Amino acid sequence: MDHSGTPGRGVTADEITVMVVDDHPIWREGVARDLAERGIRVVATAADADAAVRIAHATRPRVVLMDLNLGATSGVQAIAGILARQPETRILVLSASGEHADVLEAVKAGATGYLVKSAGAEELLAAVRRTADGYPVFTPGLAGLVLGEYRRLADEPPGPAGASPVLTARETDVLRLVAKGLTARQIGDRLHLSHRTVESHVQNTLRKLQLHNRAQLVRYAIEQGLAGD
Amino acid sequence: MDPPSRAGPTELPGRAELCTGCRGCGWRFDLDRSARHDGRVTSSTTAEPERPLEPLWRGLLVYRVLALLSAGVVVLVGLPQYRSAVGAAAVLAVMVGWTAVLGYGYLGAGARSGRRGRLAVADVAVTVAVMASTPFVQTPAQLAADAPVMGSIWTPGAVLACALCFGVRGGLAAALVVSGTLLAVQARPETELGDIQLIVLVGLTVGFASSVLRRQAERVRGAVAAEAAALERERLARAVHDGVLQVLGYLRRRGGELGGDAGELGRLAGEQEFALRTLLTTGPAGVDALGRRDLAAALRAFGSERTSVATPAHGVDLPAGAVDELVAVVGAALANVTVHVGPDAPAWVLLEDLGAEVEISVRDSGPGIPAGRLAAAEADGRIGVARSMRGRVRQLGGTITCETGSEGTEWIIRVPRAAA
Repeated sequence: MDHSGTPGRGVTADEITVMVVDDHPIWREGVARDLAERGIRVVATAADADAAVRIAHATRPRVVLMDLNLGATSGVQAIAGILARQPETRILVLSASGEHADVLEAVKAGATGYLVKSAGAEELLAAVRRTADGYPVFTPGLAGLVLGEYRRLADEPPGPAGASPVLTARETDVLRLVAKGLTARQIGDRLHLSHRTVESHVQNTLRKLQLHNRAQLVRYAIEQGLAGD
Repeated sequence: MDPPSRAGPTELPGRAELCTGCRGCGWRFDLDRSARHDGRVTSSTTAEPERPLEPLWRGLLVYRVLALLSAGVVVLVGLPQYRSAVGAAAVLAVMVGWTAVLGYGYLGAGARSGRRGRLAVADVAVTVAVMASTPFVQTPAQLAADAPVMGSIWTPGAVLACALCFGVRGGLAAALVVSGTLLAVQARPETELGDIQLIVLVGLTVGFASSVLRRQAERVRGAVAAEAAALERERLARAVHDGVLQVLGYLRRRGGELGGDAGELGRLAGEQEFALRTLLTTGPAGVDALGRRDLAAALRAFGSERTSVATPAHGVDLPAGAVDELVAVVGAALANVTVHVGPDAPAWVLLEDLGAEVEISVRDSGPGIPAGRLAAAEADGRIGVARSMRGRVRQLGGTITCETGSEGTEWIIRVPRAAA
């Protein structure tokens, strides 16, 4: 965007920078400590959406671990705010209540992964690494939500933001198998694909949803006279 | 527990309308009742939303004005016959003035201060005074000829006011006072018995009606206040639950890392965390007015640490009976996983809304069902899993297939929406 230089540049895979956003101090500190013990650099923490956007801008973490329930503010707002200024940031949602509608909104706003908070420290570490590498972190539950959302969009009349995004037959197959609990490798075996190809299909399903969401928001902003000058 | 905090209506978005109503009246109403109204529920300002007696007060005033016109015409037409025309005109003037005062006190700004009770008592006094003027302004001839007493049909208005204010007892007391006055000023009391009966009847019935209406309004008010309290409790519960989830989840994580006894504690915390989360995110899946229920919410209740349930975020509404059947089928499939693969074996449920039909998949990663075993069980006449599941799905006009192999077993249930 306006500032040059990505925070990821020159940082090796072992030096992933992370910001933890959570309104519960016990979690903020606990997660930060767990990650630090495992060689992840936690550059910042924040307790609400406004602080998260501000601090993310100042510290430029590669990965933001985002709780969705931030007291009076919402994690979805924070995700949109952070990505508006730093689209290169990766967002991993870490949610306690697993509210399905919230998780879907977070993913549409640009989060690339979702993990339940009670996931073990190793699971969290693996998810942070994957997120930092640009891969989505999918649970079967998230795949079910995304499948359902495409289905819902297909039933909607095409809006002003253009035709609704559509899954290819292959992408649908892949998402279905993710939702049924198969790993990328198992899916690759079944569909005769490399697991990298499987990953990229999964990634595409998210990207299309996010682009559609953004197009709708931009259209809305223009209509409301909020954008442009 | 104490009544929850009387927070401002803004704290419950979407319910603001209700809350302004109930908070503005319900709570303040209670305070007023204990502090000022001495246990009596009057239609004061603070009880805004349900003031069932208001139409009756308006009706009373209309009656007063019409009766005044009638009584006025009687007095003016017969003015020359009065012993004191000036006196009769003066009494009429008092009636006009007093009716105006009542209009202000019963309906206008005066009613706002809750002084109707005192005004109603004063009303009786003024009415009695008007009636008592009869011997002084009327000639004995008029009295003997059964001319109406001063005020005539204007006078029962005071009885109505007392009945509205104080219920049956108030109505009856006022009726007796007015009747007594009537008897006292009339030369031939026996001719007034019919009028007296009517006055007492009016006092009793209107008093009774006002008591009943007031009790009902109080009940409605109580219900509204209770609903507001429940909403507030719900909001607080959400905040508390979120905190509990956070702590349980954290215990589980730390316990797992520490191992040993702490690990066991962590595992227990994890189970409770999942149970609570499922309860909160699922809730009791209600049946709507059309007898439909959200299948997605119903299936999410199966979610646990070992069972993943994937559904659309939006509701998948089917007739409640069909939802019950499908939940039973999925429950049977999951129970089968527990029995044949293991109590901790993972399982995955996927619900897809395909528009014209819904598809449910229940998968495990167990060793698979040996070929022919399902058929053999059925042939043996045992009501096997397969049979009861098939039967239920067929009843819904759907199909159920089973794919099994070394990678696990997957049941796929498809049910048409229209038939379901």
